[in-house]
Amino acid sequence: MTYQLALQQLTDSALPTGAFAHSLGFESYVERGLVHDEESFGVWLAAFVGQQLTYSDALAIRFLYEGVAVAELDGSLTAQLLPRQMREASTKMGTRLLEIGAEVFPSPELAEYRAWVTSGRGAGHQPLAFAVIARSLGVPLPEALAAYLFATVTSLTQNAVRAIPLGQNAGQRLLRKAADDVAAAAERAVHLTPDDFGAVSPGLEISQMRHERQRARMFMS
Amino acid sequence: MSVLGVSPGDLTAEAARPDFGAAAWRAPRGAHRREGPDSSLRELGAAGDGHGPKSGEAAGAGQSAQEHMGELELVVTNRAGRSVATHQYHRGAMRVLRPHYLDGSGQVCYVLVNPGGAYLGADLYVIDVEVADGAKLLLATQSATKIYRTPGSFAEQRMRLRLGEGARLELAPDQVIAYREASYRQNTHVTVRPSSSLIMAEIITPGWSPDGASFRYEELRLRTEIRVESAGEGGRESGLLALDNVLIRPPLGDVTGMAFMEGFSHLGSLIVVDPQVDQALADELHEITAGYGAHTGISLTATVLGTAGLVMRSLSNSTEELQRVAGAATSLLRKRWYGQDPLDLRKY
Repeated sequence: MTYQLALQQLTDSALPTGAFAHSLGFESYVERGLVHDEESFGVWLAAFVGQQLTYSDALAIRFLYEGVAVAELDGSLTAQLLPRQMREASTKMGTRLLEIGAEVFPSPELAEYRAWVTSGRGAGHQPLAFAVIARSLGVPLPEALAAYLFATVTSLTQNAVRAIPLGQNAGQRLLRKAADDVAAAAERAVHLTPDDFGAVSPGLEISQMRHERQRARMFMS
Repeated sequence: MSVLGVSPGDLTAEAARPDFGAAAWRAPRGAHRREGPDSSLRELGAAGDGHGPKSGEAAGAGQSAQEHMGELELVVTNRAGRSVATHQYHRGAMRVLRPHYLDGSGQVCYVLVNPGGAYLGADLYVIDVEVADGAKLLLATQSATKIYRTPGSFAEQRMRLRLGEGARLELAPDQVIAYREASYRQNTHVTVRPSSSLIMAEIITPGWSPDGASFRYEELRLRTEIRVESAGEGGRESGLLALDNVLIRPPLGDVTGMAFMEGFSHLGSLIVVDPQVDQALADELHEITAGYGAHTGISLTATVLGTAGLVMRSLSNSTEELQRVAGAATSLLRKRWYGQDPLDLRKY
């Protein structure tokens, strides 16, 4: 269990990747009045875990663990994240994670990915930066998947607590519920095929695209 | 070793060519392949060289029990400003009508016809279209693609589209209608050059079911991969521009609600790839589409080898509404970029 504390640091919501600045599309639902309380945010969060996080992030992490070249996966994520703000969110947080990782969890694989991104040939996506670091630390895939998904869910829930707003206890209840969805998503991601990669629901994508033109907003995505 | 055929750690540009689900878009063939005396070329008004399947492409994995129901090959070439078919082949339940020229632009219009009228279980349709340098093709369909019950199996369409330098392709098919217990897979591989221009529309809808419910089909899986290729200084360069993967499986959970179909039943997509695509165009199209009833989002892809794409997705309960909003966008592009009038296929 030598990786345990490293994994905790890597998935701590205090890790300065800028996750506090991204709603990853839920702010569009807030603006339309569809997400306005604990229950409605829970519905969105469950869909986000089952769609975006499963078919995009989790699959990218799994393929990297299975040996697919990080360069190939980087290009696939850039092509698959059709909403521009989702691409930018992934690469902003990914680039920060590459920087932090280079200082605190250096490895040849991470240095290689970072150099490739720095040279402008790759975008530097968050799930890939995470996966490269987690794999170099010896974190088994199921734990890496669950930890990454739950970290994303945690920062989204904290953002919802501030933005909607919700009570702190409501946030904790949401996280407890989301833990079951995260476990199911991590399990499902292992059984999907390369053809499934990027099959995010149309509704999520449209809301993420519409966020670009939202007038009053707290979040960059 | 990689499940996707790339060695770990290999960071070269060549290795950076994703091949997700490329799954040999032409396989499986073989077992069901018959060279076609049933290909009646006189009807096609073909212009020429090379009728018959192109060599070297007939081999395939042949691992599935799919019935190779129809295939079509079409190469359109620019002949002094007028686009003409220079290769045509069809077999089985897939052919094109005699070409039309809808205006004076030189753009040739072909209409795809499925004489069988519908896709059934285990049906496989293969379409291979090349638009050569400077040529212009409008590819439409005669009627909706209807997917009926496909018990224990699925109907499939594989399409490969290749655009040369300065080539234009407008893909304006009728909607896909998935009826009760239908499974359908559509795999589209598009290769463009940095100077190519592509407009492709798609509408998927649920068919009528006895109980009136919308989502009675089993699975719709429509995957489109768009790659840019250029002959760069250091040899051929290639990059993935867009990977559009739509997967709707009603039996696996509630697809109707928030964050999936948002209470709508019909989905429309429009993809535009052209070196003239930019944020100002995306903003302008957003303004235009905001006046329509469909719930629509528009965003830009990343720029790859000097060209970029624009993706528009719309949800609605009506095919006509989706056609109107996509039509508004394509009319603007046809007018501005090519001086052409809005597309009206009903006249022909």
